[in-house]
Amino acid sequence: MNKPLLSLIDINKYFDNFQVLKNVSLDIKDGEFLTLLGPSGCGKTTILRCIAGLETVDSGDILLNGKSVVYLPANKRNVNTVFQNYALFPHLNMYDNIAYGPRIKKSMTEDEIKVRVAEVLHLVQMSGYEDRMSSQLSGGQMQRIAIARALINEPDILLLDEPLGALDLKLRKHMQRELALLQKQTKTTFVYVTHDQEEAVNISDRIAVMNKGVIQQIGTPREVYNHPVNLFVASFIGDRNIKEVEILENNNNYHKVKLGNNTVTIRCSRTAECKSKPGDKALLAIHMDKMKIDCNEMPNSIKGKVVSVHYAGSQTRTELDVNGQSLTAIEYQNEDCEYKIGDKVYITWEESGAILLPMEDGFEESGV
Amino acid sequence: MFNKEKFKQNAPAIPVLIWVGFLVGLPLVFVIILSFLTRDDLGNVVIKFTLSNYKKIFDPTYLKVFFNSFLLATLTGLITLIIGYPVAYFTANLSPKKRSLSIGLIMLPFWISSLLRTYGWIILLGNTGIINNILTKLNIIQSPFNMMYKFSTTLIGTAYMLIPFMIIAIYNSVDKLDKSLLEASYDLGASKRQTFLNITLPLTLPGIAGGFTLVFIPSLGLFFISDLLGGGMTLFLGNVINSQVTKGRNKPLAAAFSIGMIILVLIILYLYGKLTKDKKGEGLF
Repeated sequence: MNKPLLSLIDINKYFDNFQVLKNVSLDIKDGEFLTLLGPSGCGKTTILRCIAGLETVDSGDILLNGKSVVYLPANKRNVNTVFQNYALFPHLNMYDNIAYGPRIKKSMTEDEIKVRVAEVLHLVQMSGYEDRMSSQLSGGQMQRIAIARALINEPDILLLDEPLGALDLKLRKHMQRELALLQKQTKTTFVYVTHDQEEAVNISDRIAVMNKGVIQQIGTPREVYNHPVNLFVASFIGDRNIKEVEILENNNNYHKVKLGNNTVTIRCSRTAECKSKPGDKALLAIHMDKMKIDCNEMPNSIKGKVVSVHYAGSQTRTELDVNGQSLTAIEYQNEDCEYKIGDKVYITWEESGAILLPMEDGFEESGV
Repeated sequence: MFNKEKFKQNAPAIPVLIWVGFLVGLPLVFVIILSFLTRDDLGNVVIKFTLSNYKKIFDPTYLKVFFNSFLLATLTGLITLIIGYPVAYFTANLSPKKRSLSIGLIMLPFWISSLLRTYGWIILLGNTGIINNILTKLNIIQSPFNMMYKFSTTLIGTAYMLIPFMIIAIYNSVDKLDKSLLEASYDLGASKRQTFLNITLPLTLPGIAGGFTLVFIPSLGLFFISDLLGGGMTLFLGNVINSQVTKGRNKPLAAAFSIGMIILVLIILYLYGKLTKDKKGEGLF
């Protein structure tokens, strides 16, 4: 296996007495687009700042190209950050902003800087904006300049701290595509922080899902989306129905589980719960958009009542009641069965849409 | 044409305009007129036009007074800047609690009469003052070291009196500084010193210029500090104007000197405006 470009080894970090990072270990490969995903306050930005050197770690080590950088100040590390509020210098025009790094480090002559500034401006599609001040630019434009200012230094890693957070939805989608493209073009390693799961799934090579200072799961978007390892990841990424169930039978990865008064069969192969014994409690997580509503009884279906139907353009969100438990189904098209509020229907789901997760203390159905 | 909407909008400014008009504008007009008049032997103002008061400004003796005052004000500005900038910088970077304590301590001298505080310097610097006493007792010096009644004594007193204005002005601009800009500078490879010179200093320039103006203008006119600490050995504008009005009984000449001082101040304000012009909402003009 290739040596990782950057390794975080058992990082711990406290703010006053509050532990923001707990034994965080993470390997980042050269050239990958890695996203740190989690709710606000989970420590994802702190990890980014520790890599940049803007925050010190209380214990643990950070290896960049195999060498410890943990005692190196920010200005001596070959990583660059794109800040959440862009942090463009307001007293300098865009040319001088972008030229700031090379000039400070005296790494290029003024002639070389001129060529490189033109290159990176072209890369972020901002040619011709050299003489503007930051007050004359829109959020999206400042974003591009901030990326150009970082990229001109040819960093080993580009750190991006929720760079699209302040942009409107349409521009955000557009910039997501551009960022992913830019990353492939420049072959630079990107470490990206966001709380938006859709964004993370869209642009990343790998996602590290974080909660309460702990990395919960690292994997490709597909892995994390389809095979979450625990309740937090399952509820943070994708819309799922999550219900407590009791294992009745475990037969070669086909589990018979008891959901309320119904018995259903789940195919389970990935999580540790696939080894569970009859009598164990577990959590059943089903993607809402893998659920299907039928008018007639089907194999492995459960009977329920339609509580509400919410039509939202391309998809329909239906709330169902199954013996007092509520389930939600998101359907894109249903030509087989027309139903209205109060109808009795049969509910099934695609086999791949359902997984079993470990039971967790304090699990409350309403809270998910 | 009378615009009712505009009038309604601007109506709240009327009391201020009356106040400024009567208490600043009118006296100023009076001083300007006075500066072109003459006086009789008893010191009464005679209504007779003359330019001789202004000509006197260019008399070498009085030109020296203008120069002294300008030098005192400039040096006061520089000294308060050099001492005040670090104080303001560190105060702005303190935790909120310590910050208000620090600001409180900086403002504390204003609670005591400035005259009393000036006398305090005499107790400290005088020939039989605290510093000389201690130094003689410790046998470091044999006879008292004369620190009083010099240009530098006035300078110390003036700088001491006005330094809070400099600190507060710079503090405000350092406090407003976006800390992520400093982090961006470190991130791009700049050391602390480079970041200070390239980012912090230029972005706090409006505060420096504002503080300089706030210190420069009053130090032109303060007369009791040079009276008490300078002992009248060096003549400053404030002293000359004060003595021409009282002892000299030459109000027209005092008026002309006052106008000269106002012109000096306007030059400084003009430079301040130039320096801060590009930054929106921070310049005076």
